Amino acid sequence: MRSNRRNLLKSTACGFGYLAAASMAQREASAESQNPLAAKPVHFPARAKRVIFVFMQGGPSHVDTFDYKPLLEKHDGEDRTFDDARVLAKTKTITKHRVFKSPWKFKQYGECGQYVSDLFPNIAQHVDDLCFLKGMHTDGVAHGPATLFLHTGSINFVRPSVGSWVQYGLGSESENLPGFVTLQPSMGNGGPRNYGNAFLPAIYQGTPVGRAGVSALEAQIRNLTNPKLKSGEQRRQFEALRKINAIQKNSHAGDTEMDAMINSYELAWRMQRSVPDILDLSSESEHVQKMYGIGEKETDDFGRQCLMARRLSEAGVRYIQVNYGDNTNNPRWDQHSNLEKHADHAMKVDKPIAGLLADLKQRGLLEDTLVWWGGEFGRTPYAQANGTGRDHNPYGFTSFVAGGGVKAGFSYGETDEFGHHAVQDKIHMHDWHATLLHLLGLDHEKLTFRYSGREFRLTDVHGEVITDIFA
Amino acid sequence: MPNSPFIIAFVIIVQCLTLSTNERVLAEDTSVEFFEKHIRPVLVQHCIRCHGPEKIQGGLRLDSREAWQAGGDSGAAIVPGDDQSLLLKALGYEDISLEMPPRGKLPKQTIEHFQKWIRDGAFDPRSNDEMASSAKSSAPTLADGKEFWAFQPVKPPVVPDNLHEAWPKNDVDRFVLAKLEEKGIKPAGDAAKQNLLRRLTYDLTGLPPTKAQIERFITDKSGDATDKLIDRLLQSGHFGERWGRHWLDVVRFAESSGGGRTLLFPDAWRYRDYVIDAFNQDMPFDQFLKEQIAGDLLTSNSRLDRERKLVATGFLMLGPTNYEMQDKDILEMDVVDEQLDTMGKAMLGMTIGCARCHDHKFDPIPTRDYYALAGILKSTHSMNHSNVSAWNTVELPLSERDEDVFLASSQKLKVAEMQLAAATRTWKRMTGNAGGASVDPKSLSGVVVDSIDAEVVGAWKKSTSVQRYVGADYTHDEQMDKGAKSVTYRPKLTESGRYEVFASYSPGANRAKNVPYRIKHIGGETVVHVNQRNKPSIDALMESLGIFEFDHQREPTVVLATQGTDDGVVIADAIIWRLVSGAAGKELASTEESLADVARQQKAAAAKAEVDRLTKEVKSLKQSIPKRQVAMAPRDTESPTDIHIAIRGMAHQKGELVPRGVLQVAAWEGLQSVDTEASGRAELADWIAHENNPLTARVIANRVWYWTMGRGIVASVDNFGSTGDEPTHPELLDYLAYSLVQNGWSIKKLIREVVSSRAYQLSTHVEEHGQQLDADNQFYGRRAVKRLRAEDIRDSMLMASGNLDLTMGGSTIKKGTSSEYGYQFEGRRRSVYVPVFRNRLPEIFEVFDFADPNIQGGARMASNVASQALLLMNQPFVMEQAADAAKRLVEKHSGERHEMLRRVYQEVLGREPLEQEQQVMMDLLAVNNPPKTYSQWAMIYRLLFQCIDFRYLN
Repeated sequence: MRSNRRNLLKSTACGFGYLAAASMAQREASAESQNPLAAKPVHFPARAKRVIFVFMQGGPSHVDTFDYKPLLEKHDGEDRTFDDARVLAKTKTITKHRVFKSPWKFKQYGECGQYVSDLFPNIAQHVDDLCFLKGMHTDGVAHGPATLFLHTGSINFVRPSVGSWVQYGLGSESENLPGFVTLQPSMGNGGPRNYGNAFLPAIYQGTPVGRAGVSALEAQIRNLTNPKLKSGEQRRQFEALRKINAIQKNSHAGDTEMDAMINSYELAWRMQRSVPDILDLSSESEHVQKMYGIGEKETDDFGRQCLMARRLSEAGVRYIQVNYGDNTNNPRWDQHSNLEKHADHAMKVDKPIAGLLADLKQRGLLEDTLVWWGGEFGRTPYAQANGTGRDHNPYGFTSFVAGGGVKAGFSYGETDEFGHHAVQDKIHMHDWHATLLHLLGLDHEKLTFRYSGREFRLTDVHGEVITDIFA
Repeated sequence: MPNSPFIIAFVIIVQCLTLSTNERVLAEDTSVEFFEKHIRPVLVQHCIRCHGPEKIQGGLRLDSREAWQAGGDSGAAIVPGDDQSLLLKALGYEDISLEMPPRGKLPKQTIEHFQKWIRDGAFDPRSNDEMASSAKSSAPTLADGKEFWAFQPVKPPVVPDNLHEAWPKNDVDRFVLAKLEEKGIKPAGDAAKQNLLRRLTYDLTGLPPTKAQIERFITDKSGDATDKLIDRLLQSGHFGERWGRHWLDVVRFAESSGGGRTLLFPDAWRYRDYVIDAFNQDMPFDQFLKEQIAGDLLTSNSRLDRERKLVATGFLMLGPTNYEMQDKDILEMDVVDEQLDTMGKAMLGMTIGCARCHDHKFDPIPTRDYYALAGILKSTHSMNHSNVSAWNTVELPLSERDEDVFLASSQKLKVAEMQLAAATRTWKRMTGNAGGASVDPKSLSGVVVDSIDAEVVGAWKKSTSVQRYVGADYTHDEQMDKGAKSVTYRPKLTESGRYEVFASYSPGANRAKNVPYRIKHIGGETVVHVNQRNKPSIDALMESLGIFEFDHQREPTVVLATQGTDDGVVIADAIIWRLVSGAAGKELASTEESLADVARQQKAAAAKAEVDRLTKEVKSLKQSIPKRQVAMAPRDTESPTDIHIAIRGMAHQKGELVPRGVLQVAAWEGLQSVDTEASGRAELADWIAHENNPLTARVIANRVWYWTMGRGIVASVDNFGSTGDEPTHPELLDYLAYSLVQNGWSIKKLIREVVSSRAYQLSTHVEEHGQQLDADNQFYGRRAVKRLRAEDIRDSMLMASGNLDLTMGGSTIKKGTSSEYGYQFEGRRRSVYVPVFRNRLPEIFEVFDFADPNIQGGARMASNVASQALLLMNQPFVMEQAADAAKRLVEKHSGERHEMLRRVYQEVLGREPLEQEQQVMMDLLAVNNPPKTYSQWAMIYRLLFQCIDFRYLN
């Protein structure tokens, strides 16, 4: 049967389920899949139910955090030949650069003996829960391209973001909440495209809560509250709307679209009532707030984000992105000069992230929550332009993941002896995307959407699932 | 090279010849064993997944001897006997662009096995039997392709006969009814007059009917009332605003480049206005297409005609492009690809882009055709390179009179500028003012503390973007963490006394207006505020903070803080202390010195006056010169050339050279071939906008049908290929396409024909019987319920509130905007004039499925999501329009409630309230009795903005 394209394009509560089912040939259309946000069957058993992605915008340096390279110290100050990604793309030449040792000391932690620098004393306490991916590499030398690539798997084409694919694949666990939430996202480097649905139906787009540059205390979903009306007036208005729509619906008997529209008002009404409670952290005990560094000057803002992430994950949000970023073209971790500023950023995120890990664990949430920490790329082991900072390095860097089905106290992959290129057990960003979907029970080759005459997927024609890191 | 393949192969052959038969068998056995033991397992485990029957990456297969002998995109991977074989280089990770396997280097021993294997002749027992079956390509041939309906010539139509002869109003109806009768579907009745009026008014102009229009139409009982209405609407200037916006969807119109570092397109509005104007003028559609592809190459009969044609080519330039990309070869091919992809889908309904990397899998478009077209666009200069590249612009012609003024004034300006330069040099020599961006702190008299030597709290970002400043750079607070940042300047004064304190800063429109400088002096602390938007009055560099007395042993300081500077960026540059008089009151300079000083100062003042006079003159001359406007437009490159196929789409992997041309499957005999001296865009435009082209007229006729009827005859409006939908009414589609061409490609005539049909004017009422037979309404037995678009919703609310500004055309990006990030959409113009940025749209557009300008797409999505409900319930813009509408109502029409409610219903829904609705509304109005304030009415407006009958067209 030829499907009707107008229906295909609709993401109405009733119209769209058909498409979701139809384009995923491997999966059966169940009664629930009539609702595009209803929980959907997976391709194989899921190891994780949800994701919390802690995005470190700007590119934290791996050789100053988790990828210990003693050789940098040994050869500090020497000029050596490195195929710098930026120089190569622009001039197609390879030049010499000054080896630059890390200003921070590394120590071994935990039973696994993972090296962590002094930048992250709190996260270091959790290494036995973490799985380090030290052979990451990616596409894009500049922030814009690499940030879009991290989020959408594409530099130049407009593609849905990871969270949208996850929501499309899994549906939502909550009746009152969107399934994909991004906290205080940056407006720069692609901005909304980093949580956009692109050609997927709009219902799968990320819902921003607050934005970068505005305090976490003010973070809220847009238009969730009314600037003028008292709650009694709002209720009266809503009840009248129900009546009016019920009357007008009569003249559209048989058209399910009107029901979908009425449902969207009902969901909005429920969201108005439930979301503020979830984002309100005052009900959390002082002890928990302290774990996240809430109340301390440096960590208050990011700590609040991390705690909101936990509360959203408990409430059934599938994909939560926590953003440590800003709106500039040279975002936070981007220390082209004055590498020492890494310490400021580490200070702001270390305790909140450690708090999040501890809190998830003590609540048993870590078992089926996949925590992913990382930036859009790493940094060079040599000084940029013989200065005091490091340039971007897409060839090799470190991310870490934890929980939801990955090995704990484990390290996978290596960069070369200086930390410039990933050389062993490399994981391209496409591979990571494939692996992340796999952990959620989705086959990255089967999670497709038909658009413009062909099937599209997050990993395009690439991606290999890294089963070696599975617990 | 000592070990050339030839020599080694020779050695092997010689060796083989000298071995006895037995020995040869033995050698083969050991080779088999070696291969099976050391080579095959590695190939299976690490290589064949990507270089086997499934993926064939890089064109290379390693799953049989014949396969690798055929080589890959980069040539032979394995040359038996050759230590330099590409495969060995890849395994050895010798070249970063070729490291295999990609996940990590194989163990040293494994690599040595491969070296030995290849050195020994790369014996491989695997034959290609298994591979033969999967190698056949499934791409359709050209001959097969021409059989596909979309590539068949448009047939002159034969209008069908109907059983029910009285029903059809025109030929369109005869086609529709024939199908309905064939399927046994009884059409719905005609729409109520008020519904038809609202439907037509929105469909043709994007606005609601006014009260007067409603009354005129409802009371006009003449037989041609509807035809008169249609004519009036087609003549309205709002028609072009509505229909131009349709085309802007199709061509992914935007006013910024999108991507990571998105750049504004300050001249894109000209293209928007061109499109609106073309629809209003009913420009023949073939001409419209030609101008967009090759307007710069067409002859013009007047200056305005020339200008219009240049602006039209903006079509090619408006794509989403990541100009920041560092590899410019790839960037250029990406832009060409984007242009082709958009042109293909927008004008031909073809997904040409698929053929960039391989022959189109579903449509008869070989890779050759892609590069034949790509050669034309590669021979078109559409961007200029630098670190962040940019699109090409072309100066628009001036009128003859303006041209004369321009030349004369330009000459005068040149002279004045030269004089100014000379005068400035003189003045600077006198004052020792070096000018330029950076001022050497040593050249300044007094004690200078530059930002680099000051103590900072919080993050201060270095910058050199705006002139002028002291030292290497200045710093700013990034407009963040207001109140938490400060800079403290501690001068090393060598004596106490009265000092004048100066603060340097680089001014700008985004600066804070009230920057507090706290000066600690003997008398205590004084706070002086400086408006950093103003140009500093002293040498355009610094501002005086006043004269204070300092004790050099009591840590004199100036603290620059950021409290209360939320309105802009705070600049911290240098602070300068200049001694006015010493502690004991001794005068600073001797009389003699001061006399010389006075003379020097007088001379300097005269020089300065001359500089000022000339600066003014230059400025006024510049203002008087007619502005040469620019348009985003391409030109042909100096040396147009054919290009090579890029294997697998990779710009650096060259294949066969392909002559420029068009899609073979849609070509015909006698088609003009490309002039090799030019880009070929002229021929490309002629081919697309030609009545013989089987796609063009069908594609636009189908779009017109979609924009009026709510669904295309081919539902996939941008895809007429085999992966798209087939036409539900192929004869009707051909009839529309044929009529379009016969009527001189007049879009208005085509629209008139469709909307005059009975099929368009049917009721939306769902008949039980018809519902069963045609649930999707594919056969148009009733009117499809359409929704208001994002723009309609916004414009209608602005209409109701009386705030809509109906000015047409022009640039609408707020002056002084440098980036789309954080842009505030405050204007009250019609939605078609609201700037369209690729990373930032007005929320109402974003939420109500406005066309994503990053993607070519002629069909809008239709979503029902909670964010839409939240926006209508709570957004300040909606609240404001409802409030303003209510105020207007109460001021102008205060009267009987029922009468007022009727008026509100007419304004917003174009109809009278239903009995039941009236009940609900009256209950609301009765809450605060009597309803004196407008707030009850504001609630009524909000409710109507939220209800079904506002958001849908019946």
